[in-house]
Amino acid sequence: MSSPMMTRAAALLALAAVACTQQHLDPQPVTILRTGDRAPSADSTVAAARDRTAPAQARELYARDSIMAAAMMGCAPDVCSAVTRGEVTLGMSETQLMAATRTTPAAWSIRRAGDAAIYTSARMEQTPRDMVAPVALVQVQKGEVAAIAYAEPTGVRTVARAADATADAQARATAQALVREGDMLVAAGDLDAALARYDRASILLPNDPTLEYRIATVLDKQLRPIEAIVRYQRFLHQMELERIQAVGDAYAKQAEAIAHAKERIIVLEKH
Amino acid sequence: MAQSTVLGAAGHMALVALVALGAACSPKQVNRIDPATVTDLSGRWNDTDSRLVANELIRQSLDGGWVRRYSDAHGGTAPTVIVGDFTNKTYEHIPVGTFVNDLERAFTTSGAVQVVAGAAERGDVRAERADQQQNASASTRTRMANEHGANYMLQGEIQAIEDSEGKEKVVFYQVDAQLVDLESNAKVWMGQHKIKKYILRKRLGL
Repeated sequence: MSSPMMTRAAALLALAAVACTQQHLDPQPVTILRTGDRAPSADSTVAAARDRTAPAQARELYARDSIMAAAMMGCAPDVCSAVTRGEVTLGMSETQLMAATRTTPAAWSIRRAGDAAIYTSARMEQTPRDMVAPVALVQVQKGEVAAIAYAEPTGVRTVARAADATADAQARATAQALVREGDMLVAAGDLDAALARYDRASILLPNDPTLEYRIATVLDKQLRPIEAIVRYQRFLHQMELERIQAVGDAYAKQAEAIAHAKERIIVLEKH
Repeated sequence: MAQSTVLGAAGHMALVALVALGAACSPKQVNRIDPATVTDLSGRWNDTDSRLVANELIRQSLDGGWVRRYSDAHGGTAPTVIVGDFTNKTYEHIPVGTFVNDLERAFTTSGAVQVVAGAAERGDVRAERADQQQNASASTRTRMANEHGANYMLQGEIQAIEDSEGKEKVVFYQVDAQLVDLESNAKVWMGQHKIKKYILRKRLGL
């Protein structure tokens, strides 16, 4: 091979090598911290947050305390007691509503129409709450709380009468929600889950014969005769057959259930 | 012959003396330096990375509106946070406690957020409280079942991606943190910080 040819080949090889050489990174323009530099401190950030937050929180706390003082002045003994316990009750004033929930107007979105007002949470994720549950909505009529809607795990529970606000009423509402869930599960064919809901409801409603009948029927369907018999018997006992003598229209449904329960007891006992 | 033996012994002694002198003048040196000084030696996760992550998470969390939203809805009360799981998903040993503790300290110092003892810390506290019920006088005994419930749990994770070729190496760290509402599971704040390191290993004499 002649010398010029070799020179050209060498030049081409060198060119190819240069083309294949790995491109080195040059981090120089984007380097943030090098050895020997000082890392910044967060102290100024914390101090700024403290200066920003502390006055706002103090203002809100002062407003809350003022509302509490105003709410407790001249209130009826049962309302005063409810405010102190932190429970919203019917008949409270708007100030007492805020005092009972330990909130200020900043927590509420208030819509007024004439002498009525609707209180809802100012922010979806921060629902004001009393000692019972998160308060989804409060209806105020002529300056007094007329209805309260609680956001409970089983759904929204409304308190519009004094009787609705008792612990028994709350238990009944929760049990009814559980029974509704159980009925839906029965319809969907999930008998185990339905039975779990009915069992939980039966603790809250210990003497409800219709609930006992539902449990008996589910156990019967699940081919658990011994437990079903006990439940059918409990249902009959609770109905107090001698006293009710269920033959009238008002008891037609129970009469049918009673007849079915008796029939199933006979059938199951024979097996 | 005798002269050469004497010379050999003197040579040995000189050698030993040189070694001893070398040991005495060894280059080991220890200095106390400012903890804020950046000292990158191996290129792995170090105190500067921890500090940078802490600073950024502190800034993001305290600037986020979640504290204000909670306080407004609860009559000025500061939200309470409990530290949950902060997972290291890298192959490196990364002590996450350093920046998580910085974050807890910032919350407490700012006064904007209350922090309660997490699962790892409260065991000792509960044991002591239980012990007091038996051994402390009635007037000094702390009460049972009176703990402050947290509103939010701080959770997070750190992940890393490495890429290397020859003498060059790039490590990318991503730290994600979040505050989860303990009742609703809603994420009220999410913070993130990324660190990318370029490491070039120079060989001696090249």
